[in-house]
Amino acid sequence: MTDNAKIRVLIAKPGLDGHERGARVIAYGLRDAGFEVIYTGLRQTPAQIASAAVQEDVDVIGLSILSGAHLALTKQLKEQLAARKGEDILLIVGGIIPENDIDTLKQMGVAGVFTAGTPVSQVADFIRQNLQKAA
Amino acid sequence: MKEDKKKDRLCPHEEQYLEKVAKAREQWEEKLIAPRLKRFNLEKPNTSFYTPLDRAGSNFLENVGFPGLYPFTAGNSPLEFWKVHARLAAEMGFRPDWGGTRGVGKYGGFGTAGDYRDYLIRMHSMGRKGGPNIAFDLATQCGLDSDSEQALGEVGRVGVAIDCFQDFATIYEPYTGELEIDKVPSNFTINAPCCVIIAMYAVLAKKRGISPAALRGTPQNDILKEFIARGTYIYPPGPSLRLFRDSLVFLREKMPLLNVNSMGGYHIREAGATREQDLAFSMANAAAYLEAGVEAGLDVNDFAALFTFNAFGGSMEMYHEIAFQRAARRVYARMLKEQFGTTNPKAMIIRQPITAHIGCSSTTLQRPLNNWIRAAVGGIAAGMTGAIPGVFPPFDEPLGLGHSIEATQMQFDATRILLYETGITDVLDPWAGSYFMETLTDEIEAGALAEMDKINQMGGTVAAIESGYMQKAIAKSAYEKQKRIEARQDFVVGVNCFTSELELEVSINRDVEPTYDPALMATAEERQVESLKKMKASRDNKAVASLLNTLKAHAKDKDKNLMPDICDCVENHCTLQEICDVMREVFGEFKQAKL
Repeated sequence: MTDNAKIRVLIAKPGLDGHERGARVIAYGLRDAGFEVIYTGLRQTPAQIASAAVQEDVDVIGLSILSGAHLALTKQLKEQLAARKGEDILLIVGGIIPENDIDTLKQMGVAGVFTAGTPVSQVADFIRQNLQKAA
Repeated sequence: MKEDKKKDRLCPHEEQYLEKVAKAREQWEEKLIAPRLKRFNLEKPNTSFYTPLDRAGSNFLENVGFPGLYPFTAGNSPLEFWKVHARLAAEMGFRPDWGGTRGVGKYGGFGTAGDYRDYLIRMHSMGRKGGPNIAFDLATQCGLDSDSEQALGEVGRVGVAIDCFQDFATIYEPYTGELEIDKVPSNFTINAPCCVIIAMYAVLAKKRGISPAALRGTPQNDILKEFIARGTYIYPPGPSLRLFRDSLVFLREKMPLLNVNSMGGYHIREAGATREQDLAFSMANAAAYLEAGVEAGLDVNDFAALFTFNAFGGSMEMYHEIAFQRAARRVYARMLKEQFGTTNPKAMIIRQPITAHIGCSSTTLQRPLNNWIRAAVGGIAAGMTGAIPGVFPPFDEPLGLGHSIEATQMQFDATRILLYETGITDVLDPWAGSYFMETLTDEIEAGALAEMDKINQMGGTVAAIESGYMQKAIAKSAYEKQKRIEARQDFVVGVNCFTSELELEVSINRDVEPTYDPALMATAEERQVESLKKMKASRDNKAVASLLNTLKAHAKDKDKNLMPDICDCVENHCTLQEICDVMREVFGEFKQAKL
């Protein structure tokens, strides 16, 4: 449990989508689960998110997208992360993601995709397990 | 309080009668409840029962009244248009989604203005001739042009891209003759740059030689809820309200048939607010808009009658949602009458197309066909609160691919079954006088009023937004709800209970109508940026610069109404973002308080 204190998570809302219930609930939930959470707020460009992630030295980025722009935005973020040597940061995506796009996102390097109804505890477990694997 | 109750006694013998009921209740608790509590090892029952004791001293005329009469608890009207014509609608097979010349068509929009125009032409050829009910893409909603870096990936996605007057006019190309803009209404679901869109509508009328006074329609124009939920704001709340005032004064003067706004708590509740927060925050917002009109010297009896609501939030708790609608009608009517001194009954009612519903956030991705019955529960609640028993949303709402034709058919049929086979709408406010429902209505009202007091003490809705109070309050409520689901205090079928392999995943065929051509969607951004470039090259750029300068100078003077300047800008091909950028320079941009 004490290891959790070290896990740093950036929850980010890329693009112009303003639906932030999911992002805020995940931010609160992961904070309560012992993670250190930074929430970017709305309307962040992929470049801003990548730069914040690298500067804040986070272990995980959680993207919340409900506008249907998830493929374009995730691709851009991956490029921005690569340009800043942040490609090792664990990337997860949540929101309204059609079934068919989940595999595409995973091929882009997204570790996990979480859709509506996912308990925060499941996201927390996923992060813990995947960071252990990487370490 | 006690004296009031005495005055309102229903009959001289009420006191003795209530004593009798109280005694009977005591005996019931002792003889029937207590042994069962013991048997089941419970502290208290998880059921309740209401009696005349809960309503002692209640005043029917004052708190409920007749449908169509103050305080409108029992409904806005004793006879609604849809109810009167329900038989005719069934006989002719009327499809509400197609619209008619009386109303707007289905809410939509995608790609470039040309793409959306072609879609509308296709709809017209199928007999679906409602007025434009325009969804704008997120760039437009945030006051950005399609060539803005921030618009990347968003152009034409959740709605149509509008950068300039030419785009707006393109949408209206098929609206001539019997569909001329003085004959069909339009809806504009946009908030922060709403002034610019209203200006485009006025300029379009001018160019067609039609008086703007003949135009009908409804702009959403409810910027305050964007700060609290949904997020498509530009300027801080103060200047945003000034722009609202400018639009209000302009509309009353030049376009008097147009509704002023379409407010609501729907987005607020969907973002996580409780029922009481939903009602309190949306009423606080309404009060701010009303004050803006009063401060501008307008007559509340006149302009408030042009205020509309889109919807409040909903949930699966149907008793509570019925009570909520009753409480909302009463709170709004009393606010208009007591606080704003309104005497016009039309200005006191909540004009909204639907009433109770479950809210899209009640639907589940898990076993999605179950959402059909969930939505039907909302339809029953709506039917019991004076509205069409609208079953909403279609069951595949959470799948995020657009509604399938099957889900839409099932949605319509469910509504029709409730309307035509159950008699649910034959009685006005069927819960009126129920010991339980009246108590619940009072409780929701009291909760909302307490929250409204809190906001008033903070200095009103603008202060409560600037401090982040409302945003934090609903984020907290959303998180509390999530915790209750994860702890299984609240059950959601197929999500946190009945999820074993014994359950069957029921699936049906799902065809999504190719409404929005994916090939067009894929190239919309590129095409739109190209046409914007061409437009900028072909216009009188000197006139553009000069008009934007004038707008900027006038923006600094808060007593100045900016609508005439915005109309001039629009007519001379200034882009939406150029107009918004000038105001960004003067007003600044809103920064959300930290979580």
